[in-house]
Amino acid sequence: MAEKYVILPCNGLDKCAGLVTRELALKLHERWDSEIICPVFYRVSEAKYNKLAAERPLLVIDGCPTRCASKLAVEKNLKVARRIIVADEAKKHRIGLNDGLRITDLERRFIDDLFEELNKIEETVRPASENEAVSYNFDYETIQNRKFIFRIPKNGEVFFNENDCWAWVNGNRARIGVTDYVQQNLSDILYFYPPEVGDEIDQFGESGSIESSKAVFELVSPFSGKVVAINDKLATNPELINENPYELGWIAELELTDPEGDKELLIGFERYIEITQKKVEDADVK
Amino acid sequence: MSETTFMGVERNLIDWKPTIDYSKCNYCMDCVEFCPHKVFEVRDNDEIRLIVKNPHNCVVFCRACSKTCGPDALSFPDKNATTQRIKEIRKEMESHG
Repeated sequence: MAEKYVILPCNGLDKCAGLVTRELALKLHERWDSEIICPVFYRVSEAKYNKLAAERPLLVIDGCPTRCASKLAVEKNLKVARRIIVADEAKKHRIGLNDGLRITDLERRFIDDLFEELNKIEETVRPASENEAVSYNFDYETIQNRKFIFRIPKNGEVFFNENDCWAWVNGNRARIGVTDYVQQNLSDILYFYPPEVGDEIDQFGESGSIESSKAVFELVSPFSGKVVAINDKLATNPELINENPYELGWIAELELTDPEGDKELLIGFERYIEITQKKVEDADVK
Repeated sequence: MSETTFMGVERNLIDWKPTIDYSKCNYCMDCVEFCPHKVFEVRDNDEIRLIVKNPHNCVVFCRACSKTCGPDALSFPDKNATTQRIKEIRKEMESHG
């Protein structure tokens, strides 16, 4: 049975995607007995909704990538259990939402589909990730810039791309993630969007994204391959990426398609530390 | 300041930059505020108030500005085609010593 969420929709009235958030929230309210937070009222009166959000897991529904509801959740210091961005879901479903300010049958069917998917997610008990007890034995080099320390693993089987993502190759598999440079720049990571297990990812293709109150970072996969595991712990504890982006904060595990070919476009520790050193000097990391 | 090469290839040989769909852009300027590489420029006195001023400052394969664009007005080249082009340029460089 689905959890009794408290739902924070953006409720945007100037875009169809915003209207979809409202209708989806109402459907969840009717079917799941979920409570709804009105974002407008929340701006002027906090007490009621703060109490609700403390008692139940929070589901945030944003209409568009402006992510007004997510930003409100951050502003109110709420812990988000799950989030949906309707515009992204529409792209996944290959649906073009209409430009008007009324939802049509197309959007109603889309809302039904989103509701069914949420039901399935809630009913699915995910198996534990494979290879959970992996021993990395990473040896780190550090770069210091004012109060910031950037660690970089210098083991030979760790590869980097110039988009600040790493891959640790172990046989025909690799774990991938973001480097310290990314997590330091993003600051507190609040959301984690994993790829799906089974996804086929090209080299430099998107393999999930992470988000802080400052920015969204798209993970650029160092290797091509099939996603065989994701780090489930990040769904509820994305801050593990801040804590240790190389070990606790790994994002996904790939079964590699063309490791030798892909390595031609990757760099090792020596070159990556040079690039990072330059970025750290150039960037005003505050 | 941006790197002048990417994967060993001169950055100005790689076609990777955002394209603004002016029929969708609402000039919220979130992209300008977001991008630390000064790819965009605001032109308050012009009819078109936002342009891609420094395309070669754009980090190859980064699409972060488009992820924060509410009206979905920013698009990027195909990643696979860009990767293939980078490979071709690297081969050309190798063959020329």
